[in-house]
Amino acid sequence: MGGIVVEKLSKQYDPPKGPVAADNVSFEIREGEIFSLLGPNGAGKTTVLSILSCLLRPDAGGAHVGGYSVTDEATEVKKLIGVVPQDIALYDDLTGRENLQFWGRMYGLRGSTLARRVDEVLELIGLVDRQRDRLGKYSGGMKRRVNIGAALLHHPRFLYLDEPTVGIDPQSRRAILDGVKDFNTAGVTVLYTTHYMEEAQELSHRIGIMDRGAMIAIGTQEELVRLVGEQARIDLHLDRESETLAAQWRNLPGVSSVSEPEEGRLSLLVTDANTLAPRLFESAGEIGARVNEIALTEPNLETVFLHLTGRALRD
Amino acid sequence: MRPLVIAWKDLRRTYRSIASLAMMLLAPLVLAFALGAAFGSGDNFTIGPIETIVANLDSGSQSSEPNPTDLDAGAMLAGFLAGSDLDDLLDVSSAESAAAARAAVDRGDAAVAVVIPDDFSEAITADAGGQPELGSRVLIYSDPTLETGPAIVTTVVNSVVDGLNGARAAYLTSLQLGAAAGLSDTERLAAASQRAAAAYAAAARSEPPIRVDGRDPNSGDESAAPNVASQVLVGMMIFFMLFGAATPARNIIDEHRDGTLTRLFTTPTPRNRILAGKYIGVFAVVLLQSVIILLVGRLLMGARWGAIGPVAVLTVCGALVAASLGLFTVSFAKTPAQAGAVSAAIFVFLGLAGGNFVGSVDIGGAFALIRRFTPNGWLLEGWGHLLFGGSWSSIALPVAVVVGFAAVFFALATFFFRRRYA
Repeated sequence: MGGIVVEKLSKQYDPPKGPVAADNVSFEIREGEIFSLLGPNGAGKTTVLSILSCLLRPDAGGAHVGGYSVTDEATEVKKLIGVVPQDIALYDDLTGRENLQFWGRMYGLRGSTLARRVDEVLELIGLVDRQRDRLGKYSGGMKRRVNIGAALLHHPRFLYLDEPTVGIDPQSRRAILDGVKDFNTAGVTVLYTTHYMEEAQELSHRIGIMDRGAMIAIGTQEELVRLVGEQARIDLHLDRESETLAAQWRNLPGVSSVSEPEEGRLSLLVTDANTLAPRLFESAGEIGARVNEIALTEPNLETVFLHLTGRALRD
Repeated sequence: MRPLVIAWKDLRRTYRSIASLAMMLLAPLVLAFALGAAFGSGDNFTIGPIETIVANLDSGSQSSEPNPTDLDAGAMLAGFLAGSDLDDLLDVSSAESAAAARAAVDRGDAAVAVVIPDDFSEAITADAGGQPELGSRVLIYSDPTLETGPAIVTTVVNSVVDGLNGARAAYLTSLQLGAAAGLSDTERLAAASQRAAAAYAAAARSEPPIRVDGRDPNSGDESAAPNVASQVLVGMMIFFMLFGAATPARNIIDEHRDGTLTRLFTTPTPRNRILAGKYIGVFAVVLLQSVIILLVGRLLMGARWGAIGPVAVLTVCGALVAASLGLFTVSFAKTPAQAGAVSAAIFVFLGLAGGNFVGSVDIGGAFALIRRFTPNGWLLEGWGHLLFGGSWSSIALPVAVVVGFAAVFFALATFFFRRRYA
């Protein structure tokens, strides 16, 4: 049976000059685990997810889901997967129940089986009371729940969630994260894409970090953090943009990486934060800049990304 | 099965939209009601009697002595215009002079003035032997802002003048025949010729033994005249069917934008079945729209559509061609706004070229040729036959052409959609 195996996947949009969205990407997701693809916008996460959903054909390489090829056995793959798109892909002029009924039928459910599954999913997403209301009257969080529920109707073995918490309130976000854990506990293998480090850290058994179409690191959170060694991260907020200061800090002893300044914010990866912090204030003062905020962070996935790419995850 | 599920979903979504319902059902019905009422409260077109003033200056053609065969063509024409046969059409009064008649028109008291010249009868019986012919002209003076009334009066006058010209021909022929027969008494010869002319003129006014019966060979019972509302409603229905089809057809682009089409492609339902479902949905929406309009027209406007079988076939064909055209017009658009603008422009052009705004009325001329290149023009022709009592044979050609149009549009739409989504 197996989980998900991705081998040397490549995809370029509008070749030969278009962006390379996936560049020789390989990884494996074991059955029963939550695997997160972490990376900034444009890293190639959604492209990989689209190929695994049989929406896009790769230029090279291949992938198997549950033992089936995504290119040659797409229909079999689609029976195994449930896809939760990043944006809400539902019909506002149908009720919550009608939406679920429709998507259930698209997965081949009929009759009493369909009715029972719709009832179960409505219970699961907590919308039994609102099932007869048109979706257009739902809040954003409620729509998100239906968006996820529509992918669960046919008991998928693999659930793909593409940045499901973008633009929603903390309460709904919490509910979604808890729900993902519950689905996984029930035996569903989860592929979760996000650019929020905290979500990847909280949910994932293993994490793949992507940047500019390439998979730059894979492992458990502990394994990834170990890549950074004993380094800590210092985040600063200056009262001005200063490329000069960033360049100056890159040459300081004990500084291994400085991110590109963005609206006065920049991050440094350092070996001894306590010794280095006063030097940073000092050099900022020399050019008349003021440090509005400074934060010292223990190594985490953000640190890993900074270490591997020289850029902050938010970049 | 799954294509039908998609079609049913699209049907429900379309008919839940107030804007769609207004465009698909309310607009054609309201327009048909309004136009039907404007042209006779939903009944046939009616035209009120035309105010006509006649100045008869002709005193007739008289022999040197009173003779019962003397011709008074002016009185004949004036009497014909004022006759009971034309009571519904003309409201005739008389004037003493040409100036008085023209003044009545100038004042707006009459729509048309007919001035019969004083040499009217003389012109018919002149030239008994080498005299130059007299040129006599009946003057028709009309309000320049009017078209229909003066045209009708001119036609009536022409028909009488044609008869009188025939009488003159009879007169001259009698003279020649008499001379050829060796008659030399010119007075008797002239009297005989005048009798022949009078007899011809009288015969021309009576019921003719031979008539031309203009009838469409494809139509059945010519007495089955439809009311105005049904003729207008047919044009409106077909026109708004195109818009009705565009709404669910545009839905494909909407779903692409909203991500639901992409999500559909992640389900085990094959893409060709998804597109088939969208196609069926468009067809179902338009078919239901036309059935509702036909029923409302029958129940509320008293429309008589014709035999149920041909009506059903023509309705299905209309839905087919509207659906395929709707899909075609949005198949090469990239955004819903672009699709809306393109399809609206195409439909308005087709509506004008195909004659949707004149209903099933056959205008003729170049317009009749242009509408042959539009699917809606052929549909209107088919409906026109049915409204006037036609049956299967009368709609066979329109149906065949419309199905051909539908097949071409369907193929083009499928080509563009497959290129985009396959």
